[in-house]
Amino acid sequence: MSAFVRRLGFGGTLCLALIVTFALLALFAPWLSPYPDQGMGTPNVIAKLKPPAATFWLGTDHLGRDVLSRVIFGARVSMSAGLLIVAFSLLIGLPVGLLAGYFGGWVDEALMRITDVFLAFPALLLAVLLAAALGPGLLNSIVAVAVTWWPWYARMARAEVLVLRGQPYVEAASVMGVSQARIAIRHILPGAARPLLVQAALDVGPALLTASSLSFLGLGVLPPTADWGKMVDEGRKFFPDRWWVAAAPGVAIFLLALAFSVLGDALRNREGGKRRDTT
Amino acid sequence: MNRRDILKSAALSAIAASVPLAVPRWSIALAQEGSPIFTLAHPAGFPDLDPATSFSNDGAVLANVYEGLTRYIPGKDDQPATLAPVLATGWETSVDGLTWTFKLREGVKFHDGTDLTAEAVKGSIERTIKIAGGAAFIWSPVTAITAPDPTTVVFTLSSPQPLDVIAASGFAAWIISPAAMDKDNAWFNAGNDAGSGPFKIDRYEPGQRAILTRVADYWGGALEGAFDTVVFEIVEDAVLDQNMIEGGQADWTYGLPYENLDALKANPDLSVVVNPSFETLFGMYNTKKAPLDRPKVRQALSLAFPYDDVISAGTSGLGSRAKGVIPSGIWGHDTDAPVPNTDLEAAKALLAEEGLTDGNLELVMTYATSDTLEATAGELWKANLAQLGINLILQPMAWEAQWELAKSDPAATQDIFVMYWWPTYVTPYDYLFNLFHSEEAPAYNLGYYSNPDYDKLIDDAAALSGTDRTKAEAMFKEAQRMVIADNAAVFILDKPNIHIMRADVKGYQDNPAYGHVVFVNELSR
Repeated sequence: MSAFVRRLGFGGTLCLALIVTFALLALFAPWLSPYPDQGMGTPNVIAKLKPPAATFWLGTDHLGRDVLSRVIFGARVSMSAGLLIVAFSLLIGLPVGLLAGYFGGWVDEALMRITDVFLAFPALLLAVLLAAALGPGLLNSIVAVAVTWWPWYARMARAEVLVLRGQPYVEAASVMGVSQARIAIRHILPGAARPLLVQAALDVGPALLTASSLSFLGLGVLPPTADWGKMVDEGRKFFPDRWWVAAAPGVAIFLLALAFSVLGDALRNREGGKRRDTT
Repeated sequence: MNRRDILKSAALSAIAASVPLAVPRWSIALAQEGSPIFTLAHPAGFPDLDPATSFSNDGAVLANVYEGLTRYIPGKDDQPATLAPVLATGWETSVDGLTWTFKLREGVKFHDGTDLTAEAVKGSIERTIKIAGGAAFIWSPVTAITAPDPTTVVFTLSSPQPLDVIAASGFAAWIISPAAMDKDNAWFNAGNDAGSGPFKIDRYEPGQRAILTRVADYWGGALEGAFDTVVFEIVEDAVLDQNMIEGGQADWTYGLPYENLDALKANPDLSVVVNPSFETLFGMYNTKKAPLDRPKVRQALSLAFPYDDVISAGTSGLGSRAKGVIPSGIWGHDTDAPVPNTDLEAAKALLAEEGLTDGNLELVMTYATSDTLEATAGELWKANLAQLGINLILQPMAWEAQWELAKSDPAATQDIFVMYWWPTYVTPYDYLFNLFHSEEAPAYNLGYYSNPDYDKLIDDAAALSGTDRTKAEAMFKEAQRMVIADNAAVFILDKPNIHIMRADVKGYQDNPAYGHVVFVNELSR
């Protein structure tokens, strides 16, 4: 354990613990939240906008639902949005970068110009437009953000591949008559993927934030599913007097996004350290 | 289009939310004790200040700058609604209701110094009809306007219509100076005006503010302690509006969340004025798509609607139960309309009768993104319907998208279309025609209701409303009962009109016929 803490650093370990806690809460939401039915959306109008107290630890929202239960259920949407956006982006970006970097020439030109087109738009604006066009829904908002996100991975992957392509072991494999596809997948992909995975860990936080922004703008999940960004939007209107409705999900977004970023940093430092060892 | 401004894009409000609180850019217009400046924290901008085409929140400015021939004064308690003379001092109609003669007020001057004449009235309305934008359709029954002498205007109609009520419209019925007849839309939107009202536009910064100053020789005079200057500060974020009214930087605002009103009521510096509005919220059932093509299924859904909960949770108890689609305060409102009360057992029995008990029924309800009240109604209804084995899918959409979808093939669109309606000018026909009259291509009849008997009844009633309003009113009520009996829609609630003012402002009377308009000349401090 102590070795583990040393590798990730104190902050990194703390953040990992926080992420694991959120993940467990999300996974076991129906058992861990005090009012699971309210977490899933059942209104309870009699108790609307109650301040935090023993019965409702974080108060209730405008439909009388327990904010704590809503935040716990909201973790499901927010975590899966953050992770899926990054996963989708990797899934598109990595192959595009690999092809462009490995084959070069017109393939490279064509693929990189397409990436440039996507990079030319302000990311959030493009995501908002896409989400508006696709209509609300969790999957739609994930797709909308991923579309603006993958070009960065494509760029990074291409740069890594360009470096690796010139390495002696790749040339050796080529001379020995190993097929192009095999070289790309077996010899280059693993090397190129590692820094991308670190970047992906760093990006989960911002991805989660972007997905929350879309929800805040009414382009996320369909009601009555709990979602942090949406909860902030609902609570914002009576923020000064009834702060808990917006504050609880806001703090949750802040903590989780921060945790992913710090953890990503810790991973990057570790990665950097290892590289120094090998050279 | 005026039904759409409530749907100001979510993105805009989010941008407004990010406006820093630190430097109040409206501080130039501090509403101090005894100040002759009346400041409105206005949550919506003014898309079009051309009096011929304005069809949105612009009325807030235009109603202080321009005047029409008449003004609608809503009924209160047992007092029937009346029409007050403004630029016209009297009017009469021929027996057949096809000729209307208006006598004009003498001694009225436009802001540019020209006199009000019959030619000006004729020219203004003809300009509006010619441009044919905004609410110009209200004049469609008019075939000819003549000016036999400088203080008499005669309208000839193709069908009998209540032209005195039409002339009181808050849109497309403003009279402008002859000097401005050939001016275009851009001229008006540059902050120029050509009205005869108590104020003239002094400065206009689109999306920021409009400043009006008092006209020296207004025919209606000024009260003691009247305001000299009217400042509209356009602040689209409710939180900022609330800060302004609480801090004394504004004298009047609206659109604050219902949940905050108790705190505002307790503030001795403020008064919270609650009135009925002409805005009603309802959900139209898709009568052309299974299973809602069956009246009993629609009835079951209406029986499952949590009316009281939506009023208490969505409007803090300030809204009122809708009695059909015509709200109170409008002639034709039916206080005894047989609307259902929430009764889940009865709903269950009806569904069983219709053979819908397998619990696989999915219905899609569309409503406007970021409209909290509609979302609340949907979420509470969904919870009730879940107990009946019906899954109500809540589909928030941008208004344009919601509307486009509904106008496509009825068999493939939403099951329930939720929206608000308020009239262009005050007549029950506006609600009954737009929402339920048969249509070849749906415009606003988005439940696709079609009933030839109903169509004939409201058309006949509309033709009578110029000459025999009592009979017309009875026919409108009968027609509305047909819609209720057929369960064409679920009638949710009539929205309250809530305005928040500084307590030292005197003389305020809300007039729901003009939306959120303040006639500042009637106020004093």
